[in-house]
Amino acid sequence: MIRRPLDQMKFVLRKVVLLLLALIVAFPLFYMFSSSLFSAKDFNKVNLLPAKAVFSNYAKVFGHRYFGSYIINSVGTSVLASVIRTVVIVLASFALTHLSFKGRNLIFSALMLTLFVPQEAVLYQNYRTIASLGLLDTWAGIIATSLFSAAQMILVMGSFMAQDRSSYDAARIDGASDLRYIVSVLVPLSGPAVLTVSIQTLITTFNSYLWPLLVTNKPKTRTIQTGITMLGFAESGDMGAQMASLVLITVPFMIVLAFTKKRIENSLIRR
Amino acid sequence: MNDICVFIKLSDVKLNLHRYRAYLYLAPAIVLAALFCWYPAVKGFIESFFTVSHSGTVQGFAGLSNYRTLFSDKAFLNSVSNTLRFIVLFVPANTFLTLLAASLTRRKSRFSFIPEYIFFVPVAVSLSAYSLLFRELFRGKASVINRILGTDFLWINDKSGAMATLVILGIFLDFGLDYILLMSAFRGIDKNIIEAARMDGAGGWRLFFQVELPQIRGTVLATVFLALKDAILISAPIIILTEGGPYRSTETIMFYYYTEAFRSGNRAVQNSMAALVLTIAAVAFAIYSLRRKSR
Repeated sequence: MIRRPLDQMKFVLRKVVLLLLALIVAFPLFYMFSSSLFSAKDFNKVNLLPAKAVFSNYAKVFGHRYFGSYIINSVGTSVLASVIRTVVIVLASFALTHLSFKGRNLIFSALMLTLFVPQEAVLYQNYRTIASLGLLDTWAGIIATSLFSAAQMILVMGSFMAQDRSSYDAARIDGASDLRYIVSVLVPLSGPAVLTVSIQTLITTFNSYLWPLLVTNKPKTRTIQTGITMLGFAESGDMGAQMASLVLITVPFMIVLAFTKKRIENSLIRR
Repeated sequence: MNDICVFIKLSDVKLNLHRYRAYLYLAPAIVLAALFCWYPAVKGFIESFFTVSHSGTVQGFAGLSNYRTLFSDKAFLNSVSNTLRFIVLFVPANTFLTLLAASLTRRKSRFSFIPEYIFFVPVAVSLSAYSLLFRELFRGKASVINRILGTDFLWINDKSGAMATLVILGIFLDFGLDYILLMSAFRGIDKNIIEAARMDGAGGWRLFFQVELPQIRGTVLATVFLALKDAILISAPIIILTEGGPYRSTETIMFYYYTEAFRSGNRAVQNSMAALVLTIAAVAFAIYSLRRKSR
């Protein structure tokens, strides 16, 4: 391909801007990895790379008395929230798409109304509810308010409606129960939508900060996202250990992302 | 739809027991929505017109006096103006930068997966991880950022510096998701449209601004609304990064709400603010869905 000089200049300019932008976006993460190996000296000198890599920062994080329980609480609550929310949404979507009953439209609209209410606007009232149910400092309290999502229900309903109805009719005639049909036919056929809901819930619950901060007071019951700001490393001047803790909670998601990036992209590209 | 209804009716006759099973399947969703969404929203809205004691008992009708208290509260008005400043700085910058990144990588090539991964990876970093990271990067005069830029700006400890840091942090928090939405939208454009435009002699800037950008305007609009929503509701990064300071310069509406509701226990301010946020959210969402429908 023959390029005119002007085109060539534009091409180079584009690549330079791209490189610059990529460097800026990547820098904080680069620094996170690099400084997780810093000694106190490296921090004082404001280095960008460690003079000598110090791995004891990671040992300090693993040796922290609450780090383990933070991780267990986070993994536990996010898996639990993901499973329960998926079940709640699948059951509701099934009823709304496959069954006809009195008040169907009313119930659907009422559920859709929740889209208008951001969690932040009902933060205090929900806190009161959780407190009066005696659920402060429990996993149930951490996940209770995020077990239903109307936005995700729309997604699953869309997928359920696209399925062939005659298979449900056939299953009913064969005497299969609704649950049997949902588990062995409907959900496998709507795999991508159901999977999206459960993965999204898993990640948002794992990464939520404000709500777990409000409903947990005892160190042992905190999740990692709130706990990581309270490890005390930064306060005692142990910045390297703080950075190592950030690396530890970020790397698993970076790996997952590397493997699922293509899939996420393809699901987003409309065809 | 009709034939299904007929079938369901038939099955209902056969299995009378199963008549109410739809409600059973919907019960968990309804209970959750009622308990943690409708009930608190309505209760908060109603209580905003009453005097509520510190412990939460309703003491009497207050009319609009809670709102009067709120709007004469200097700290609240300050939080509104801080939030507006944040929106004005954050939303355009965020839209421009994510759109720039997406447009620069919109064509697939052999090595495009590298910048794609870099622009997408902020999704993997949690809010508290980025906030803690930025607290360190922008800390004091001898900060990492100052060293790279060769400046000696105070960033987090300076009024306008703290707001700037918060805007940059906000951009990083939203970057990954916005990027992947926009990039996928670019790649989802019908190839024939682009080819046809090329045949007509459109290339470079003209192709981008007159053909590709208009094609993805729905996604652009969605990311703008997403950014606007995040900007209006921002609070958690402030709790970690600046605690609202210095001199209340980064106290946003939701951060102020958080401190009033959970630290000072100010019921008058808390309920009327919740009601206001609810109204704003409802109006914004209604506008957005109407716009979507009209297209």
